[in-house]
Order: sequence, then C-alpha cells, then structure tokens
Amino acid sequence: MNVIGYTAVVAQVALVVAGAPLLTGLMRQVRAKLEGRAGAGLIQPWRDVRKLLRKQPITPTGTGPAFRAAPALLVATAAVVAALIPLVSTQTPVRRHADLIVVVALLALGTVALALAGLDSGTAFGGMGSSREMTVAGLVEPTMLLAVFALSIPAGTTNLPAIVSGAIHDPTRLASPAGLLATAALAVAVLAEAGRIPVDNPATHLELTMIHEAMVLEYAGPDLALVELGSQMRLTVLLGLLTSLFAPWGIATSATWTALAIALVLFALKVAALGAVLAAAEVFWAKVRLFRVPELLAGSFLLALLAVTASYFLSGTGGGL
Amino acid sequence: MSVVGSALFGAAGAACAGSLAGLLAPARLRAALVGACTAVAGLAGVVAGVAALDGGRWSADLPEVLPLAGVHLAVDALSGLFMVVSGAVVAAVAVYAVGYAGHGVHGASSRGAQAVLPLFAATLVLVPAAASVSTFLLLWEAMALTSLLLVLAEHRQRPAVREAGVWYAVMTHLGLVGLLAGLAWFAGQVGGETFAELRAGGPELSPTVRGTVFVLVTAALASKAGAVPLHAWLPRAHPEAPSHVSALMSAAMVNLGVYGIVRVGFDLLGGGPRWWWLALIATGALSAVYGILQAAMSADLKRLLAYSTSENMGLVLIGIGASGLFAAAGHPALAGVALAAALLHVVNHAAFKALLFCAAGAVLHATGLRDLDRLGGLRATMPMTAGLFALAALGAVALPPGNGFISEWLLLQSLIHGLEVPGVATAIVLPLAVAVIALSAGLAAAVFVKALGVGFFARPRSEQAAKATECPASMLAGMGLLAACCVGLAVLPGVLGGGLNRAVVAAGVDGEAPLRAGGLDVRLDALSSRLAPLWVVAGLTAGVLFASALPRLAARRRERRRNARLWDCGGGAPTPRMAYTATSFAEPLQRVFDDVLAPEQDVDVTHARESAYLVERVRYQRRVPDRIEHRLYRPVMDLLAAAGNSARRLAPGSMHLYLGYGFFGLVTLLVVLAVGW
Amino acid sequence: MSEATFTQLLDLACGGFLLAAVIVLWRRELTAIIQVFALQGLALAAIPLLLGLHEHRADLVAVAAGIAALRAGLLPYLMRRALIASAPAEDRGRRHREGSDERRETQPVVNVAASLLTAAMLTLLAYAVAQPLVALDPTPATRALPVGLAVVLIGFFVLATRRRALAQVVGFLLLDNGITATAFLAASGVPLIVELGVSFDVLLAVLVLQILTTRMRTAFGTTDLDDLRELAD
Repeated sequence: MNVIGYTAVVAQVALVVAGAPLLTGLMRQVRAKLEGRAGAGLIQPWRDVRKLLRKQPITPTGTGPAFRAAPALLVATAAVVAALIPLVSTQTPVRRHADLIVVVALLALGTVALALAGLDSGTAFGGMGSSREMTVAGLVEPTMLLAVFALSIPAGTTNLPAIVSGAIHDPTRLASPAGLLATAALAVAVLAEAGRIPVDNPATHLELTMIHEAMVLEYAGPDLALVELGSQMRLTVLLGLLTSLFAPWGIATSATWTALAIALVLFALKVAALGAVLAAAEVFWAKVRLFRVPELLAGSFLLALLAVTASYFLSGTGGGL
Repeated sequence: MSVVGSALFGAAGAACAGSLAGLLAPARLRAALVGACTAVAGLAGVVAGVAALDGGRWSADLPEVLPLAGVHLAVDALSGLFMVVSGAVVAAVAVYAVGYAGHGVHGASSRGAQAVLPLFAATLVLVPAAASVSTFLLLWEAMALTSLLLVLAEHRQRPAVREAGVWYAVMTHLGLVGLLAGLAWFAGQVGGETFAELRAGGPELSPTVRGTVFVLVTAALASKAGAVPLHAWLPRAHPEAPSHVSALMSAAMVNLGVYGIVRVGFDLLGGGPRWWWLALIATGALSAVYGILQAAMSADLKRLLAYSTSENMGLVLIGIGASGLFAAAGHPALAGVALAAALLHVVNHAAFKALLFCAAGAVLHATGLRDLDRLGGLRATMPMTAGLFALAALGAVALPPGNGFISEWLLLQSLIHGLEVPGVATAIVLPLAVAVIALSAGLAAAVFVKALGVGFFARPRSEQAAKATECPASMLAGMGLLAACCVGLAVLPGVLGGGLNRAVVAAGVDGEAPLRAGGLDVRLDALSSRLAPLWVVAGLTAGVLFASALPRLAARRRERRRNARLWDCGGGAPTPRMAYTATSFAEPLQRVFDDVLAPEQDVDVTHARESAYLVERVRYQRRVPDRIEHRLYRPVMDLLAAAGNSARRLAPGSMHLYLGYGFFGLVTLLVVLAVGW
Repeated sequence: MSEATFTQLLDLACGGFLLAAVIVLWRRELTAIIQVFALQGLALAAIPLLLGLHEHRADLVAVAAGIAALRAGLLPYLMRRALIASAPAEDRGRRHREGSDERRETQPVVNVAASLLTAAMLTLLAYAVAQPLVALDPTPATRALPVGLAVVLIGFFVLATRRRALAQVVGFLLLDNGITATAFLAASGVPLIVELGVSFDVLLAVLVLQILTTRMRTAFGTTDLDDLRELAD
C-alpha cells in the first residue's frame, strides 16, 4: 500500500508537471482547428517552456526578491496542490491532510505571490494587472468556499479523498441538484481562478483587457518559463479538481497497481476531454468587460449558495441535518 | 502564594517601577528603563498566563485595597490565555518602544507618556484577572484612561490627534456607561458583585434581565473590540497614536473586549438563547466585511491596519456567536471547536497585528510618512522591516503557511460542520457566515498585497521614502520577537492545543477537548478534520526548490543573471510616478462596491492656455467617507448639538440663577423624599 | 418508479425550476429570458408529471401536458411575437444607444449583481418561511416547497425591478409559475378546474399586456415603464 501510495502521489505531480503544457497545446490546437487555422501542434508549449528555460536569466532594473521568488512559488503551490488532490488515487499517504480548504488557500497563495511580483516591477502594467487580479481573486473566494461547503455536506467532511470516494460509492450525490449547482458554481470559479475567457483572455496583450498577462509582462527567460508552466499547471490542477469532484469514476480507491494504471490513463483522458470542451466553448464566448465580471461572480456565488441550501431543501440529505 | 499570584504582583510592581522611572529618570536613560520594566511586566504576565493555562488556578481577595468593595482577583485558563497574549505583546512592544520612543523626535518620548506606558501595559495584563464587578470596572477604566493619555501623546505634532482623542474619550466612556449599567444591574439582581456570585446567580435570572444585561455589556465590549457600527473611534485613534501604543491597543486592548464578551456571555450568564448569538454573528459579519472594505479603500497604512483590526475582531465575534448558537442547541463539541477557533484567532491576530503596527511604526520613524501613495521601495532601504512586514502580512491574509490561516480554517470547519445542528437559524446563518469569512479573507488578500506591494516594493515615490534608513536594533529586536511568535503559531499551533482546551472549558463550554494537544498538526477529533501546517511548509519548500532547480536542469550552460531595462513601450524609462499607487490599486474594488462605499470623487482638469484640447494638469481626488459613521453618528451628534444650543438658554451667566438652580434642586429633592417616604 | 428515483427526479425538476428563475434574473437579452422561461415551464410540467406517475393519477399527467403546452409553448410564443412586434426592423439600426434598445434589459432598477445577491437572500427567506409547513408533513414533495416560494419571491422581485414591459411580464409569469409549483408540491395540485381557470387568466393577462406594450410603443417609442410616469403629468 505504501509503495503504491507514494507512487500515486509522485505520478500525480509528474503527470501534472509534464502534462500541463500538453493540455495547453491541446486546447490551443482545438481552438485553432475550430477557427480554421492549422495550429502550432500539440507540443509547442513544451518547446516554448524548454526554450525559455535555457535562456539567460534576466532581472529587470528595480525589481526585488518578491519578483524573483514568485514564479517558483507559483509552481510550488500548483505542485503541492497536485500532490494533495486525489487525481488518480484516494489511497495516498497525504490523504488525511488533503483538505479542500487548504487546496483553495494554496491556489490563492500562488495568485498573491504573482500579484506581489506584478507590483514589485513598479510599472503601470504590473500594478494594473495585480490590482485586477486581486479584485477578481477576492470576489471568487466566497464562491469557492461555498462550493466547498456544498460538497462537504453529503460527505460530512472537507477532506477531499473522503468526498471523492463518497461520490464514487454513491453516484446519486452527483446528480442531485446540490451536486449540479455546486458543479456549475465551481466551474465558473475555476474559469476565474485560471484566468480563462470570459474573465480573462490568456492570449490578449491589449492593456484594456489584460489581467494575468499584465502582471507578468516583465518576466523573461527561465522566470517566464516558470510563470507559464505554473499557470498551465494551475489550469490542469483546477480542471483535475473538477473531474475528481464531479466525474470521479476511475480514481483508484484501492491500493493496487492495476487500479492505479487505469486511473492514470482515465485521468489524462478526462482532463484532456474537459480541456477540449473548454477550448471549444471559448471559441464561442467573448470576454466580458472587467466590471461585468462581478456580475458573473455574483451569479456563481448565488449558484453555490443555492447548492448549499438545496442540499437541505430537497430531500437528498435534508431532514437529518 | 502560587506562581500566578506572584507573577501578577511582579507585573504590577514592575509597572509601578517603570512608571516611576519614566517620571524620575534622566531623559537619556528613560526609554531604556521604562522599556525594561514594561518588558518585565509583560514577561510576568506571560508567566502567570502560562501557569494558568497549564491548569493553575489562583484567586485573592484584598478587601483593604479598595474601600467598600475591595479587590477580588481570580485567574483561570480563560484569563490565562488573554494574559499570555497581552503579556507577550507587551513584552515585545516594550523592547520595540525603547528604540521608537527613545529618539526624542516624537511626543511619545515625553516624561508623561513614558510614565503612563507601563501602567497601560500593566492594566492590559491585569484586566483578565479581575473577579468582581468593581475590580473589573476599575481596571477597565484605568486601561481606558491610560490608553487615552497615550493616544494623545503626539498632540503637539499633529492637530488630528486631538480630534482622535476626543472621539476615543467619548466612545470609550459611553462604553463604560453601558458596561457600568449592565454589570451593576446584573450585580444588583444577583445580590452580589463577585464573579463567583454572578456565576451562581446569573443563570437563574429572568430572561429579560439576562437579555438586557447581555445587550448592554456586549455593546460596550464590542465597541472596545472595534466592532461595526461602534467602531468609529478605532480608525481614528489607532493611526494617530504613537505606533507602539497602536500595537498595544490593536493587539492587546481590543482582545479584552472579546474576553469580556466570553466571560460575561458564557461564564457569568451561563450561555443564552439563540437571538443573543445571532445578533453577535450579525455584528461580527458586518464588522468583517465593512472593516476589510474600508481597509481596501484606505491609503493610510495605519488606518488600513486599524480597519483590518475591525475585520479580524468581526471574525472572532462570528466564532463566539457560532459557539453560543451551538451551545444553545445542545452541541457542546461543536461549540467548543468554534470557541477554540475564535480564541486562537485572537492569539494569531495579536501576533501579526502587533508586528504589522510595529513595522508601520518603523516606516513612520524612518520616513515620517503613513501615506502608501508616497511610500515604496522600502525593501531596498529597510530590508529587515520589509521582511518582517511581509511575514506578518502572510499571517493577516489567512493563507497557508501563515498563522491566520489556521484559525480561519478552524472557524470554517466549525461553521461547515455546524449544519448538524438542526434549525432554520443555523441553516440560514451558517452558509452566510462562511460566505462572509471567505469574502473578508479574499479582500484581506487584496488589502495586504496593496500594503506590501505598494508600500514596500517597487520604487520610492517620494524623497523621504528614498532616503529611509533601517530602524535601530531595539526596534528590530522587538519586531523579531513578534515574528518568532508568528512563525511559532504558524508552524506549531498544536502546542497551544491543551491551553486552548482548558480555556474553552473555563469559559463554561464543556465539550470534550476540541483540539488534540501537542503534536505537529491540528486535529479535530469531533469533526474528523486535520491540518498539518508543518507539512504544508515542507511541501511548499520542496516545491520551490524543485521549481528553482528546473532552469538549472534545463540549461546547457550556466549564465549569470543580467540586468535589463523595464519595458517602457519605447517611451523612455518609466518613472516611479507611473507606478500604481494604493489609490489606483483599490480602484477596481471601489467600483465593484460603489453602492456600499459611496466614495466621493473629484476630477479637476486644468486646460493649457493655448488650447482647450491640451491638458496641463489633471487632479484626481477620492475620499471614501465612513458611511456608517456618517449615517449613524452625524444625526446623533447634530441632535446633541441642537440640545446643547437650546440648553444654553438655561445658563445666561447669572450667578444668582445658578445658585437658584442648586437651591431649587435641593428643595425638590427634599419634597420628593418627604412625600415619597 | 422506485421511491429513490422519484425523489431524485423530483429534486432535479425543482432544482431546474429554481435555476431557471435565477437565470432570468441574470441575463439581459429578452430573447434569452424568454427561452429560459420556456425551459422553466418544462421543469414545472415535470413536477405534476412525476407526481402523477408516482401516485398513479392520470389527471395529474393530463395537467402536466396542459402546463407544458401553455407555459413552454403558447406563452413563450406569444412573448416572442410581442418582442418582434416591439422591436421592428428599423429599430435595429440604433440598437447601440443605451436605454433605447428594446431587446435588452439594459438598466434594471437594481443592478444585476445586487439582484442576484437579493435572490440569494430571498431563497433563504423562502426556506425559513416554509419550514413550519414542511414540518407538518415531510414528504419529498413538501420538502421542495421552499423552491416554489422562492420562485414566487424572485418573480415578484423581477416584476418590481425591471424596466422593460416584457421583462415584467416574465416576472409576473415567474410568480404564477411559483404559485403553481407551490400548489403541486404542497397538495399534489389544485383541482383541475381551478388550474384551468388560473391558466386562462394568465393567458388573458399576457394578451392584455401584449396589447399594452404595442400601444406604449406607438405612444412613446419605447417600453420603458418609467415613461408611464408621464401619464400622471
């Protein structure tokens, strides 16, 4: 059990680190095909990261330690989250500590680190980006935690492996109104946290609309590689979190090698499918104005609150509570 | 006499010695002597508190000290917890104050201020030891008066200090009136004034009496804790006080408001009906959201920290309210967790807020500025202070691996599991409370990113900020002590477990121990949740090492870091004036919460003389008035002013009339007595 | 149909019913609002259908069919026609002018984020109010009672805060949907004749409002109800 458990954790982290650029490549490729372009190919983001990692490190004048530390911290938070979430197995050595609130807070820590780096550069772009990023991050938090609340009600705990294995054994939880509303709310929150359309456009370089790109404008070389890798890992981890919570089938609940192997393959497929769907949807969506974002987040907050209330409104778990 | 007793007397003695030293010692030695005595008083408080947390109980009756009532002192684990917090903050801040007040540039170094400081420190340590109504009120008033004198220390330097002092004096004394009325009535109904008698008689009183006492006392104490809408003094007094005094007030004095609420609500009244606690949760929620929103808008570093105190006390009140709610519904285990979370948050908040105020004081000391818009670049000139501020800010944003995260995590756990308690009230209040905590945590992240990023990072926006130098060693030492507390609380919160359990039991919530004592992680046996801060730190460290190694692994040859110009869009190197300021950082949030905050904006465009299309200067001004204060206090103050004006007619200046009033009053009294008998 | 499946499906129908009301509050395009309203009609029809299948009552199934035809078919159709009538072709040229756009609820009295938060509070209120009723007879259907009440409240809120006449019609219909849902959930439906009468009333009201909208358009050139104030002058 122990060996398999440790292998599962290592596999999760390795898969997220190695797979994140591929996921981005896949999403760009899907988008390109739908828009009638040839696309750069699946492994282009990998090549980009490798190229950037090999370049000479550059420090813009007037930046300090926060600027240099942020990329590593961003990657580190995403890696720790990848280790904590039961992406492929619920029987990992960290399962007792895999608390959903900790996961949410660690992701926020990455955001904060990057926002500080944006301010540290001392340029208008950096400040603008971090100001907007922190506004969005601050408003996403209630949705995130209420969705956590809704998810923890049927399981009776905020422990992720417990929630996931509970859902595997009792799939009707997922099809209940509470489960569906929580999915919707968390999905919107994930879009905002990962900086995707309609909250932020990862491909834009227009100052009116930039959020994430404005923050990291000063990065170059290996630092930029880490920032890119970190953002890609965040996206992967967030999509992985969604799949683990709402499509948990295939995640190993027993400590056997076959279960683990199947779970790994299924995890890759599920996240790739979700990414492709997201990319396809993004073709049809427009980015909303920055000051319409609160509306979107208020809506997702409402969904999350309804998810919490629905779980005791409606009979599923009600009454007993 | 036990350890607790002797330590407390030691604290009082050290404080008196410090006060004498402040009065008599020559100016050159004054700061050091006062600092040493105050630190000793603080340490004695820590010793007494630790002994009490360890299970020691102590009580003393000193009938001869105070005529009529006498002084009653008693220490249990709940008092002990607050003594430890006050004592530790006092000790560290005393060390800091040696440097801060010792340089003679502030009013804080004057003879009077130096003499009062140890007394204030001693009351902070002693208030939790009071065990009768008269003793409590006496110490409480001593604390209020000494803090008022200290707030006014710099009144010669800045006129704003006087206004702040008036606000503080009025609010704190209105609070005292409420407290006096509530506790005196309580004592009158029970027929005794020691806490032991109140404890015995409290639960038997009629619900109306209990409710009124609770409302009066809680309102007064919540005002001391800075809860909205009774917070108006806090954002005025904390910024205007000398920084070490702000630290003491924000990290130790406001806690005592919380102590009073727990002591009276849980211990003396023995818990109460649901509406008490719902009202407390509502107050807490309002304070949390409103406080952090005002902090987000504030560009004054110390004002921002003061509003953040309101926010954190709001979170604590939510925890206390939830605990009372669970206890009223008959779930002592959950009530214990919620109360432990609230108390732990008090401890954590004290650690990081004291450090934040001290660091803000160091900045003020070095630059003379509190305005974030004009600071910046301090990480280069004051690296230690910037690092310490960053450490404290990590605690304040409630993200791992900071210490604030642990208590907020506990609070969230207790609320999330609170749905097990049946009832419409919990079903509606708990999700909203979770949302409020999440929103305030999210906004707190924005607030402290702003404070740290704009105030300490980037490049200096003013000459003072550019010329700043690192503060003296004693200030750094004081801050270092607080930083050590922050780190300890963040990494090894389990150490406090046993003490917290005992404090919760002493408050009268008898669940089985909510927290597993000792160990590396925080474990909630009742809720099957656990948190291992040390592992999170280890994981993050490993992750950072891995990420920093990636470029080395990928690189073909090692190349040195090269400096490069900032991206300037081809328009020449960007100047610090182009960087984002605190005001601009807060602009999106201000727009989002426009309806709540109702900011006043003023854009003033000066056109060039040659053409109306060329702009010479644009002046943008934003003021975010405290709306609650505006709506709530202004009418009352106007009413009072009108009443005062009309009452002026009674006093035309004639001596005969004044004597006549006295005579008339005496006769009326006698008539009433004669008829009434 | 097993008890568990019935409960699950009923909950889903109620969840969808409430969600539709929330989305009406969220969206600005009137066409989208009408679509969502039609979907809500289907969710509403599903409730008596499920109840009928569960309790083996043919009349409920018939009522379900009637509701589906009226609320998901006829009413949305009428509203769509009203929308097309009120925003004729020449109007599209000046669609960009704020406030004069007939196809969008551009500026509700309460902004969208605030109305969503209000809807959250209203839902909680509905839950609190319905608790004593649920306690009388806790079956799966009565437990979902707050959903009906919440939709009633949200409908009233839409009615009170929207400027476009058509959006207000939708608010009114939401209110009516909520009442119908409450009736079904609380007592397995009102008698058929009452339901028919109410539906007829609703139809009539929509027709009247449609005529009113057209009249308003010819008189004022817009359906912004604030312009009705001019009538008082």
